[in-house]
Amino acid sequence: MSLELKPKKWAGALRQVTLGAGSRRPLTVGGGNGLPLHTFEAAFPHRPLLALEITDVDPVRWVESVREVWEGALGRPAEAARRGVEEFGADLLLVNLMGTHPDRGNRSPEQAAADIAAVLEAVRVPLIVKGPGAGQKQNQVLARVAENCGGEGLALHSATNEDYKTLAAVAVAYGHVLVGESPIDVNIAKQLNILLADANVDLNRVLIDPLTGGLGYGLEYTYSVMERIRLAALSGDGMLNCPLVCLVGEEAWKAKEARVPAGKEPLWGNQPERAIHWEVATSMALIEAGAEVVVLRHPESLARIRKQLDSWFDVTAGGATCR
Amino acid sequence: MSKIIASAAIRGGHACVRRAETALAECVDRYGWDKDVGFPSTAYALPVILALTGKRVERLGDLEEALGTARSWLPAEPTERLWLPYLGGALDAGAATLVAQEAIEALKPLRGIPSAFDYWLGPTADGILREQGIKLVDGRMPGFAACVGALPDDETAEQLARDLQERNLLVFMGSNAGGETMAAQLNRRGVEMNWETFLVPYGPDTSSIVHALGFACRAAFTFGGLKPGGIKETREILLYNQRRVFAFVLALGEVDDEKYATAAGAINFGFPVIADTDIPEILPSGICTYEHVVANVAHRDMPARAVEVRGVKIHTVDIPIPVRHGPAFEGERVRKEEVAIEFGGKHTRCFEYLASRPMDQVQDELIRVVGPEIGDVPETARLPLAIFVEVAGRKMQPEFESILERHIHSFLSEPMGVMHLGQRDTVWLRISKKARDAGFRIGHLGTVLLHKLRNDFPAIVDKVQVTLFTQSADVEALYPAAAAAYQSRDERMGALTDERVEVFYSCALCQSYAPNHVCIITPERLGLCGAYNWLDGKAAYEINPHGGNLPVRKGDSVDPVLGQWKGINDFIRNASNGSFERFSAYSMINDPMTSCGCFECIACILPGTGGIMIVDREYSGQTPVGMTFSSLAEMTGGGQQTPGFIGIGTLYALSRKFISADGGLSRLVWTTTRIKQRLGDKLRQRCEELGRPGFYDKVADETVCTELEPLIEYLAAVEHPALEMGEMV
Repeated sequence: MSLELKPKKWAGALRQVTLGAGSRRPLTVGGGNGLPLHTFEAAFPHRPLLALEITDVDPVRWVESVREVWEGALGRPAEAARRGVEEFGADLLLVNLMGTHPDRGNRSPEQAAADIAAVLEAVRVPLIVKGPGAGQKQNQVLARVAENCGGEGLALHSATNEDYKTLAAVAVAYGHVLVGESPIDVNIAKQLNILLADANVDLNRVLIDPLTGGLGYGLEYTYSVMERIRLAALSGDGMLNCPLVCLVGEEAWKAKEARVPAGKEPLWGNQPERAIHWEVATSMALIEAGAEVVVLRHPESLARIRKQLDSWFDVTAGGATCR
Repeated sequence: MSKIIASAAIRGGHACVRRAETALAECVDRYGWDKDVGFPSTAYALPVILALTGKRVERLGDLEEALGTARSWLPAEPTERLWLPYLGGALDAGAATLVAQEAIEALKPLRGIPSAFDYWLGPTADGILREQGIKLVDGRMPGFAACVGALPDDETAEQLARDLQERNLLVFMGSNAGGETMAAQLNRRGVEMNWETFLVPYGPDTSSIVHALGFACRAAFTFGGLKPGGIKETREILLYNQRRVFAFVLALGEVDDEKYATAAGAINFGFPVIADTDIPEILPSGICTYEHVVANVAHRDMPARAVEVRGVKIHTVDIPIPVRHGPAFEGERVRKEEVAIEFGGKHTRCFEYLASRPMDQVQDELIRVVGPEIGDVPETARLPLAIFVEVAGRKMQPEFESILERHIHSFLSEPMGVMHLGQRDTVWLRISKKARDAGFRIGHLGTVLLHKLRNDFPAIVDKVQVTLFTQSADVEALYPAAAAAYQSRDERMGALTDERVEVFYSCALCQSYAPNHVCIITPERLGLCGAYNWLDGKAAYEINPHGGNLPVRKGDSVDPVLGQWKGINDFIRNASNGSFERFSAYSMINDPMTSCGCFECIACILPGTGGIMIVDREYSGQTPVGMTFSSLAEMTGGGQQTPGFIGIGTLYALSRKFISADGGLSRLVWTTTRIKQRLGDKLRQRCEELGRPGFYDKVADETVCTELEPLIEYLAAVEHPALEMGEMV
């Protein structure tokens, strides 16, 4: 007996968001009109993108086995950017301006803008720029970066429900993409998008960061929320159909399972390898839930995920279509 | 609209456009049509003209065209015999005036007239706009005041400037009153005026005030992403300003035709005019959010009045009290040996009473302690206390009083060293010695309430005034009013039935973990978490129209017994992502409402008894249905429709609509002692109303039995009515 597939047709589709403009080689995500990876019944004009995270200052808390591969480039954003793109093959980069945090160096908005300018000089890929966290400093830093790097189509990370007006204004004023972050909550994700639209932000220039934990640390909550967002988007909800970005690296490498050396937990096996597994497993689950941009720390994780994506998607001239 | 204002504005518009045409002709004579014209360091050409006409003016020839457009907007001045409405005409004249004024300002350099001299700053560069304009858009600066004219004396001028600065408002100054200017007055007082101090003098001519509107237009272009174009785009730009740029005009001193015309121009942007002179008022709302022109305002009241009329919301970041505060201190106890002063408990009368008042009867920020303060009485004194909060707001409704009042508890629990328990007239409040030593006074209770109410409820609260009575005579004198209010609120709530309202409220706050669940909250069925009743839903929507609570029109009745309405069912279909077609408000058998997982209690049928049981979350023991609360929760929660199982807020059991389609409260055969305690006399009273004598005592609880067989025996022994009502399914 043969199985007859009945393709599910949805009323809506994801928005397509283009990252990078000006001197960047732009990349577009989104546009799919079915559940993630349901390639047998839906069309996906763009494949998920893989980003590597680099930092403005030496990320002293990063685990040794990830620090090793970035040796010589830690705290040198331009050098790290070159390596991330040329050696490690990242589609795009997330520049974490952690050093601007008042407790982690308190670098000025001008220094941050100079760091981003140096990265823009070093590579041509689109950038996600992450501020030091919500609050006044985040707004100062990202507003300055947005102004100094006008027209580059940076993705500013991130606006929140409580604090979005400044970033909404600068994203509009200087031609950037805005990442709206919600605390694993579909209602707030929607509410934030309504607020952004109300502040004249074009939702075709918005990514949703649903916030995630690493595998074993609440990943399943994010998985359901992403599913929920995707179902709403496909049902035609114009306020939830922005592509999703997940910051996997920082969460996966926070997990005890990624950090504890084999000496302490012999049964867990080799730590560097285990940590990569952790990052890959977290990412794959989120890609299956609909992540369109995944931010990673370890280039080996990126290579492995890319291999998997390559087996699912055909790369064509105009981006990617389904195999 | 006042005919006087309209006539003056239209006259002023004609004069202004004529003046601009003359100035232009003079420049064209000298330089020709191709001469460049514009403001320095801006990419927006002449921004007001760009916004209003959609045309970039770069040469004198372009200016000719713009003035032609302005002239075409000018209506004829209303004659004695014209009785038609003239608001539109005056607004058009206002817009024409702004075009003409901007032309006059732009032509100044060509005519050898300086724009920036002495302390006058002239037009604003884009760099400053980027730095400062964003603050208007993102709310760091609540708004700007365009001050037109001058004050009666230098001291008053400084006072007004300081009052505006204190509210973080950007102050633009321009024009003059009989030759005197506000900037000159401030200059004589030695006040520093520049973009850093937020005191920006544009110029001594009335036309210079057009720069303030140019600033607003450029903010809309830059941060609102709006593009100039045709009439539709112009409308967008004006609406953007009306909604986001909280500006207003302060008319200081005599108002001449040009000032009226400029004011009419500003009204196009939704910026109202507050005047210190006796000019005709334009009160009804229309273009502006509230009033358009308010006159005769005393100088010291101007900032507050302007903030109110424009609907500016000012958020206090740091509440000015001498102790730390925040939710972290909410559960804090002040123990007996720590007490500096104590109110209420069982010792003295202590109550809180929040009342809403008309806008003009509340003096915002007025906090008074009537009677002894903390330092006037010996340590550990016990005083009576009445916390009397009067609020006013454009969107305040008396129905919200109880909601705001209920928040007094959490607000007054937040300062470190203050303990607040109870509500209404059961309040028990202590202030610790430490807090007192840090400088905390009884009056600071008012400070906390003022700022928290304004910060947390900006949509409904504009003004707060707090009086703290600490003398027995005053407390007793106010008490009857408070007691009457408590009673009338309870009665109003009791009289609020599902039939008497057209709208229910949805609650989708739990959809993050129960994606297809949505609560429908009716006056007679509160949310299953117990935290949201119908009024809460209404207030939540008023406060945040994009939040989790939306009004849902009932629409036509589908089944009055089950409690189904067309509007509700349509909403459910959509909000449950197509998972459910129908909800019954009054049945747990037919199309029952779904549950997220936050229910206070679960009601489920008990086969063989003809009845139901209600078990609460805290009860960890076995129940007659053979499941504990947590096993039951799995069947009930997660957004499923499980006939025979519903999650409910405890108080729903008291409702006349409690599973009324299935037989109502008479079906209750078993519950927990905790629920019986919580509902107390009210449950007894409801049982009496059923007309079944002795019913309350027939309802079993865990002290009677926790298994089905003995329960059935018990029910038979007490002749519980459910046995005769027949099985529910």
